[in-house]
Amino acid sequence: MTQFAEILRLLTKAGIEFIVVGGVAATAHGSPRATTDVDVLYARNRGNLDRLVAALAGLEPYLRGAPPGLPFKFDYETVKAGLNFTLITNLGALNLLGEIAGGGKYEDLLTQSDFSDLYGSLCRVLNLDMLIWTKRAAGRPKDFEAIAELELLRDRSPSPTPPASKS
Amino acid sequence: MEVDMNSIDEIIEIYKRDVDITMIDEGLKRTVEERMRVLAEFEQFREELQKGMERARDAVR
Repeated sequence: MTQFAEILRLLTKAGIEFIVVGGVAATAHGSPRATTDVDVLYARNRGNLDRLVAALAGLEPYLRGAPPGLPFKFDYETVKAGLNFTLITNLGALNLLGEIAGGGKYEDLLTQSDFSDLYGSLCRVLNLDMLIWTKRAAGRPKDFEAIAELELLRDRSPSPTPPASKS
Repeated sequence: MEVDMNSIDEIIEIYKRDVDITMIDEGLKRTVEERMRVLAEFEQFREELQKGMERARDAVR
């Protein structure tokens, strides 16, 4: 079971620079579609990678769906050499994305995100327009239904939800 | 499989016909806090359902 609150709390408390994207972001915007994992776009600077590795160290991160016993070690070298990681951890499914289709890197999407209080943690969340844009850019048939929902959600939304302020 | 961006609009419009608008409106009525709580509750329910199915399978064996 994915413990959304605990994952977001851990990342926030560790001072990791990340933007919530994917299904959890869609939920924050009001989507009724359930998700079973947490997708975050993370900054790839040295300090952030170190914090990320340290924060996840106790969670036994492993490649989701991979056969057990692979020599996978979630350390700085691994994260530096890779980009997107689909992980299973002691807190559930966590997808670390260094880049997203149509959106780019963390720094590229900072201005397309707002702070939102998710389970008591103040997190950057990708805005609805960009969430739709990135899903469209990915062009995956499995996302079409979700895109249709998100666009209807945007059309029927009375006004944008004001972002939570970070003090 | 990737799809040509130019063809997506039409496909998305077709999908929109089957979206349950009442669910969209329900989601919009909720606060962010309520939306996140519902997600966590659903995940909990999914987990319990899965465990229940496993128990049932084990009992049959």
